[in-house]
Amino acid sequence: MKQLDYDVVVIGGGPAGMAAALKAKEKGATVAVIERNDELGGILNQCIHSGFGLSYFKQELTGPEYAELFINQVAAAGIDIFLKTMVIDLNPEHQVKAMNEDGMLVLAAGAIVLAMGCRERTRGAIKIPGSRPAGVLTAGLAQRYVNIENRKPGERIVILGSGDIGLIMARRLTLEGMQVLGVYELMPYANGLYRNIKNCLDDFDIPLHLSTTVTNIIGHPHLEAIEVARVDENLAVIEATREVIACDTLLLSIGLIPENELSQKSGVSLNPRTNGPLVNETLETDQPGIFACGNVLHVHDLVDNVTLEAEQAGEAAADYALQQKAAATVKATRLADNKVAITISPGENVGYTVPAKLSVPSQKATRILFRVRQPMDQAAVVIQAGTKILYQSKTRAFKPSVMEAVVLKPEEINGLNGIEKTITVSVREVK
Amino acid sequence: MNHYDIIIIGGGITGTAIARECSKYQLTAALLERGTDIGIGATKGNGGVVHPGYDPTPGSLKAKINVRGANLYPQLARDLNFGIINPGIFVIGFSDADEAVLKHKLEFGIKNGVRDLAIIDASQMRNREPHLAADAKNALYAPTATVVDPFEVAIAFAENAKANGVDILTSQPVIAIKKRADGRFQLITPDQQFSCSYIVNAAGNHADEVARLAGITEYQMKPRHGDLLVLDKDMVNKPQTVMFPCPGPDTKGIACIPTVHGNTIVGSTATMVDDKEAVNNYGPGIQALIDGIHKILPELDAGKIIRTFAGLRPVVLDNNNDFFIAESQTVTGFIHAAGIQSPGVASAPAIAEQVRDLLDNAGLKIVPKSDYNPYREKSIDFDALSMAEQDALIHQNPAYGRIVCRCETVTEGEIIAAIHGEIPARTLDAIKRRTRAGMGRCQSGFCQYKVIAILSRELGMPVSDICLEDRGSQMLCGPVKGGAK
Ligand SMILES: Cc1cc2nc3c(=O)[nH]c(=O)nc-3n(C[C@H](O)[C@H](O)[C@H](O)COP(=O)(O)OP(=O)(O)OC[C@H]3O[C@@H](n4cnc5c(N)ncnc54)[C@H](O)[C@@H]3O)c2cc1C
Ligand SMILES: Cc1cc2nc3c(=O)[nH]c(=O)nc-3n(C[C@H](O)[C@H](O)[C@H](O)COP(=O)(O)OP(=O)(O)OC[C@H]3O[C@@H](n4cnc5c(N)ncnc54)[C@H](O)[C@@H]3O)c2cc1C
Repeated sequence: MKQLDYDVVVIGGGPAGMAAALKAKEKGATVAVIERNDELGGILNQCIHSGFGLSYFKQELTGPEYAELFINQVAAAGIDIFLKTMVIDLNPEHQVKAMNEDGMLVLAAGAIVLAMGCRERTRGAIKIPGSRPAGVLTAGLAQRYVNIENRKPGERIVILGSGDIGLIMARRLTLEGMQVLGVYELMPYANGLYRNIKNCLDDFDIPLHLSTTVTNIIGHPHLEAIEVARVDENLAVIEATREVIACDTLLLSIGLIPENELSQKSGVSLNPRTNGPLVNETLETDQPGIFACGNVLHVHDLVDNVTLEAEQAGEAAADYALQQKAAATVKATRLADNKVAITISPGENVGYTVPAKLSVPSQKATRILFRVRQPMDQAAVVIQAGTKILYQSKTRAFKPSVMEAVVLKPEEINGLNGIEKTITVSVREVK
Repeated sequence: MNHYDIIIIGGGITGTAIARECSKYQLTAALLERGTDIGIGATKGNGGVVHPGYDPTPGSLKAKINVRGANLYPQLARDLNFGIINPGIFVIGFSDADEAVLKHKLEFGIKNGVRDLAIIDASQMRNREPHLAADAKNALYAPTATVVDPFEVAIAFAENAKANGVDILTSQPVIAIKKRADGRFQLITPDQQFSCSYIVNAAGNHADEVARLAGITEYQMKPRHGDLLVLDKDMVNKPQTVMFPCPGPDTKGIACIPTVHGNTIVGSTATMVDDKEAVNNYGPGIQALIDGIHKILPELDAGKIIRTFAGLRPVVLDNNNDFFIAESQTVTGFIHAAGIQSPGVASAPAIAEQVRDLLDNAGLKIVPKSDYNPYREKSIDFDALSMAEQDALIHQNPAYGRIVCRCETVTEGEIIAAIHGEIPARTLDAIKRRTRAGMGRCQSGFCQYKVIAILSRELGMPVSDICLEDRGSQMLCGPVKGGAK
């Protein structure tokens, strides 16, 4: 059994893990990245479409190209990379238990960065009735089959859910000669990015059926058909609209869930709204020295945001580890100790915020990320402490598919010290 | 043509328990199962509760067999190394009328010989189950009740039977039965023929059709369908006890069932249906499960559902809801183990003994074998080992260092072992039942492609031939581009 020691251990080698590791290394920490797959890059390796890096690199890259830019840097930076290595346990004392073909290993870390990404919601989560045949699979798994394993999941495809992966797959399968009959979405609006609706559906004449869902799965042992029906404004099925569509494959693109089994083993508390850890402005969880970033924290639609967030987490993790190391020799206390914690709470039409906590006074600007619940055409972000307005944005349109970011300057929040315990982020209609 | 003393038709928990019983004696036997694996009928679609036996009417066949079967389980679990837990059962009363029913059940239970039954009050219930509905008044408590993983039990029975000389043959649907002039039966499957002196019909929902193949029309069957659902292991406030509501006249009601692996099952609805093959989930049924369980556990989080499934209870009509275990009155040597509706899992070990006695009566010599081995070794469960054991195992065989299923921590080594096991796993679902790969919260989204690749490699089959379960359930079509292997 191997035992190793690092300042920072990063769990997960996707874009989040790589960016966090690079920043931590830059800050002078010793760093290990642990990745269960054969290579670094995470989900990007199967995203062979373009549309990555527009804001971070100011150029349009494919997923693997974006990943490669980071893989090369990580390889050159003197970071220890463990591939084909699965982390199976993590405790609050920062002990990481992992395994690979060479045996079991235990890594002791000054700080941990959680960067495990997310997984797809499955059929069970939405309880579609019917048979349970071959031919029903998640869109991300289909992406893996087509783009990496070189296998078709079927010939006549229906997609349930208008998440980005489903939209991307509608185009991919069409380009590869399969027939995509349509995309069905329960809500009256699409869940994916506007650019994906346009580039992946409209350009290929693939119909998008809003306010429509799959009500039955038919066929055994293999999928033969599905039944769809329109729903009313309360999401109840309109009986007269039931219709059977022959198909051999149903792809589910019904949402992603941050993968936090390990985080929970280490005692990290989750935010029920995101299923990701509750973090403060340094992206530290409620377990000291354990940080989180990327899709494990909350689901991102743009990798550029993942990278920015991860750099912040990597830097904070290195700071923490190096300070603790110094503190162990000079018996100093942690810098943050004389700060006051303020809760950031999601207000009107805001689903969640990351971070969910903030400490003042602060020397740095704080980036607050969030999503709206409902689309709004004319609205503004308003951040308030009680009745006092700290920030108000310009009036514009908001969509649930787009992650929003607001940067609060130190002077906008430092006045709160000790007076207010909560600030609220709302998106309000402007008449 | 292979000749056996006994051929068992059907490899559910009933047929496999009988196969194991047969393997104890000096005789030859085979089990023919139509599916690609054993345990894929009613045996894979049920709640796994080993009911202790307070339900059946005293004096009925079911009463005797249920109690005996349930009592055999703890020792069987030790001998055959399958999982068993002892959560006990609450049958919960919400009214005075319910209390009368509970007392009636208590009386039945005592007459049937069930041990340690008691009526307990609300505070005693709440000590064990603090999240119980506020209007729960009292309960019949059956502390001896256990829960098993029914297909694990069927696999254990079959493996042990095979190790003791019984042939277990899958993908062998019996399509014709003839009684020859020499008194022997001839059984025909699409690709083989067998002969035998005795037939045991354990064909579940199809037992009436199998009987008809031999010219027997002693009973008619219809399935009683049930929806079930599985909740995530990480659900908060998991129940510790199997909890049923006080039953209505026809069903046991919607219960929560802690499983051997730490999940919670909610089951089951009960609806007579016509189609014996349609093991579908019905929308109203799933809703009835959620509504039903909220009467017992109002705070149970339905967001934690990871899967729904269903099963068909094999019911012999006009038989007082009893099992039909008897030698045919018209065709000698043909034994029925039919109509094994609930609690067939609990009863299986005792049904096997009953069938043995029927064979004995029918003239088969039942002589114990001296070299019979009642024990089955447990296959390796990586997740359950200590870290030092895990490390040593990986050094011995690096395949145990490769995690395939992340949710349930299943290694490639375990999957390879299942593929080459005593009863080989040849499909995704067969692997799932043996190793739990794909059983967890991601429902195989992460590991499916890996398991397909391992099956393909180990069995020397193209990936496009790998099935989910039944013939025709291929997971993938051909290559996207060019000449993929
Ligand atoms: C299908 C799809 C299409 C997308 N399209 C675009 C796009 O067009 N443009 C864009 O900008 N963004 C896009 N995104 C978003 C962006 O790519 C993702 O948000 C980003 O890749 C998430 O990065 P991550 O590092 O958090 O997670 P991941 O990339 O999922 O990486 C997590 C890594 O952690 C590893 N891991 C997890 N648990 C363990 C463990 N226990 N032990 C060891 N390793 C572990 C995993 O193997 C994985 O490699 C897309 C995302 C998806 C899923
Ligand atoms: C919803 C539900 C919940 C239940 N809950 C419980 C519970 O909690 N506790 C309990 O004790 N019991 C429970 N039961 C009952 C239990 O599942 C059954 O009693 C038991 O599984 C019956 O087993 P079996 O072997 O008789 O039938 P099956 O498992 O159906 O096996 C019959 C086998 O015969 C095979 N077969 C059929 N025709 C042929 C042929 N021509 N040739 C070859 N093979 C053939 C089939 O493929 C099948 O594998 C429940 C049942 C249901 C449906």
